[in-house]
Amino acid sequence: MKDSPARITLEEWDARYAELRVAGLREPWYGGPLRRHVDEGGDYRLLRLRYDNSPAALRLWNFLLTEEDRLKEARRQGKKLVGAMKDLGTVPVMAYSLANVTAFYPDGAWWIPCMMELSSKDLEIADSLGIDESFCPVRAMLGAFLTEAHFPIPDLLTCNVGATCDDFSAIAQRLNGLGFPILWWETPHRRKPKVGQASRLSGSQVGQASRLSGSQVGQASRLSGSQVGQASGLSGSQVGAGFNFLPAEESVPLPGGLSAPREQVDFVRSELERVRGAIEELAGGRLDDAALRDGIRVANRMRRVLAELRELSYSAPVCPIPALEMLIAEMLAIHFCSDREEAIRVLEELLEEARRRVRAGIGPLGADAVRVFWVNPVADLRAMNILEDCGGRVCGTEYLFSHALDPIPEDVPPMEALARTALADPMIGPCSDRADRICRDIQLFGAEAVLVSRIPGASHCAVEGAVIHEMVRERLGLPVQEIEVPPLCDAVATTIRTRIETLIETVKARRKP
Amino acid sequence: MTASVILYTCPFVPAEWILAHGLSPHRFLPSPRRESGVFAGVGEGVCPFARAAVETACTEPGAAALVASTTCDQMRRAAEFGEAYDRLPVFLMHVPSSWESAGAHRYYRGELARLGRFLRELGGREPTKDRLAEVMEEMDAARRALLDARPGMTSSEFAVAVAAYYRGGVLPPGLPDRGGEVLNGVPLAVVGSPFFEGQAEVFELIERQGGRVALDATTSGEGSWPRPFNRRRLREDPFDELADAYFGSIPDAFRRPNSLLYQWLRRELQTRGIRGIIFRRYVWCDTWHAEAQRMKEWCGMPMLILEPEDDARLHARSISRIEAFMEVLR
Repeated sequence: MKDSPARITLEEWDARYAELRVAGLREPWYGGPLRRHVDEGGDYRLLRLRYDNSPAALRLWNFLLTEEDRLKEARRQGKKLVGAMKDLGTVPVMAYSLANVTAFYPDGAWWIPCMMELSSKDLEIADSLGIDESFCPVRAMLGAFLTEAHFPIPDLLTCNVGATCDDFSAIAQRLNGLGFPILWWETPHRRKPKVGQASRLSGSQVGQASRLSGSQVGQASRLSGSQVGQASGLSGSQVGAGFNFLPAEESVPLPGGLSAPREQVDFVRSELERVRGAIEELAGGRLDDAALRDGIRVANRMRRVLAELRELSYSAPVCPIPALEMLIAEMLAIHFCSDREEAIRVLEELLEEARRRVRAGIGPLGADAVRVFWVNPVADLRAMNILEDCGGRVCGTEYLFSHALDPIPEDVPPMEALARTALADPMIGPCSDRADRICRDIQLFGAEAVLVSRIPGASHCAVEGAVIHEMVRERLGLPVQEIEVPPLCDAVATTIRTRIETLIETVKARRKP
Repeated sequence: MTASVILYTCPFVPAEWILAHGLSPHRFLPSPRRESGVFAGVGEGVCPFARAAVETACTEPGAAALVASTTCDQMRRAAEFGEAYDRLPVFLMHVPSSWESAGAHRYYRGELARLGRFLRELGGREPTKDRLAEVMEEMDAARRALLDARPGMTSSEFAVAVAAYYRGGVLPPGLPDRGGEVLNGVPLAVVGSPFFEGQAEVFELIERQGGRVALDATTSGEGSWPRPFNRRRLREDPFDELADAYFGSIPDAFRRPNSLLYQWLRRELQTRGIRGIIFRRYVWCDTWHAEAQRMKEWCGMPMLILEPEDDARLHARSISRIEAFMEVLR
């Protein structure tokens, strides 16, 4: 039996699985050959993907593809189901803090058209409701709710709105209009805390003052009155000379090196208190701070495992874990795939495999693979394979949920910590904040190029892509390429491949002395 | 001396608040024919209205600032571009989508207070309670006068009068009065995305085809006006009344839930005897786009869905569709 790392097809996995079984492979209850998800679940896309050949990857895939079974089992056991929408990483931490509550993201339905190769009819149902292909593929969620074929209808639906994407908000509203009650909770557009300044500034001075970086603002907020005056471009005498002095706002540090004004953190905390109340009512018990602290500790345990896995996979000289499996691993951090403890064990096994391979200096890709930073999640998983087929490897990602990867603060009260985490969502702040984080992570992982995969129809992609593109080029001088990945990318695979190959060739040409 | 002009398009930005600060509010219908260079390098996918709003603001002579809002993702991100362009100061106001919690109302009031600080930084003066109340009474009276005068105007004349009122918050002199003759056309409602400049041309076309816009329920129309102010509360706490009248009453598709929109529309469609709806939404406007099908199923009357052209002109396709729609209704 070959144990050297490789990317293999589903057919090859059939043989590999049989070999592993003979060799004594031990699996959890949801284990089994991957092919059964095609035969029994209709996940035809699996036939076209290439997978890592490790038992750890097998477990990861099986865990992902059996979530519906776990949700049904949770309901059978009398657990309450929370459908958390859009916040990507915050509400599930709260929900899992109670033993009789399970949370999941109906948003995950956006992969159903891909996995089932459009055989599920979810997109047609969305079309019939007036939510056509000009919307983000998450519109498949509407079909999933109406058919009840992919997940049980949750006992409580929450949806994060405000400074989120219009696609999701509009689709959730359509769902609400169809009779599904939703608890809407708000996150405001994250802005930088205001430094103190005198009034009657000129327009450009106002602009300058409001465009300080997070760290500058943080420094400014700890300055004395006259110092703040200097920080905002005014002399001490001006501050003391009858100008109408406007006080600085308290700056609160957020995960990911961001900051927000105290009033925004307090507001989000109060919104999450409403969510807490709804979960308590659903569960019939108190969700107290002690339980939340425990929940945050467990979530952070998972985030630490994932952080090490990302560090190893994205920075090792030879890539130990392929892009597709890493994408799925990152997704687990959002909601634990409906079993928190098992999700951690799955990731730990994958991490162990990565450690083993890094120690041995082996991996499924060549050592000269071009190091690419990937921006935005893809609606078709095959796109991740294409990058590697073209000679690339993923070295860093920003899938729009970096706030679900960063540790949740444990040195502040739990609701405050969760509010800070929610406010660190890359989607709710300025595009420049997101681009700045991407640049920092590119440097951290040593990426040589950036691939921005646009989400078809998504309201944020046009502007965000341009901002990221410009900042990466100006600050780092790296090549950037944009692709658009629909739920099934076969029809445009040649275009995607050509664009990626161009990027790869550009990097290789730059490598030459 | 002319007061500094503060530009905005969002109905949740109270003109009264700007005026009370001694500055001039100018709620504008953007021109898609302005080019400032702000969006150079940005490809497809940007809402034409959001793009035009920022382009117009950045090229508007004498503008002191742009107040944008977060009522849609596209405008939020377009405003960021405008801010980076550094042509004029941009204030991005977060208008909560959710409205059922006391916290959302408090947050809106906080944003108004923050807007006040911004206006003072631009040279505005902090309004006294009396001054704010006085301005609110004046603008409330102006809106009432406009509505009272509407039966004497064609719908295109009314649109022109409203656009003039938006520029400065003052009622234009000499409103037309044609008596009852203007009430002859088939009463229609126009619902959906806000208009570009040139709105009156669309209304004129409808009039030529035997219709009249009896209800402008677009984001730039009368549906975006606050409820009449409560006199007692206006005197006791004008700021609180201002915030409540705007945040508590304006129906819009972006609100979550957006049940207020449907409640308001149901009432107005019945009251005004509306016989058909022209529903307009820009390409990339997810918020209104998502309502089109639902509204069609809900309204129980003929509804035409129009996607306005990016250049704000009435193209042959739109003209013939409006003509055909009117032919059915006549």
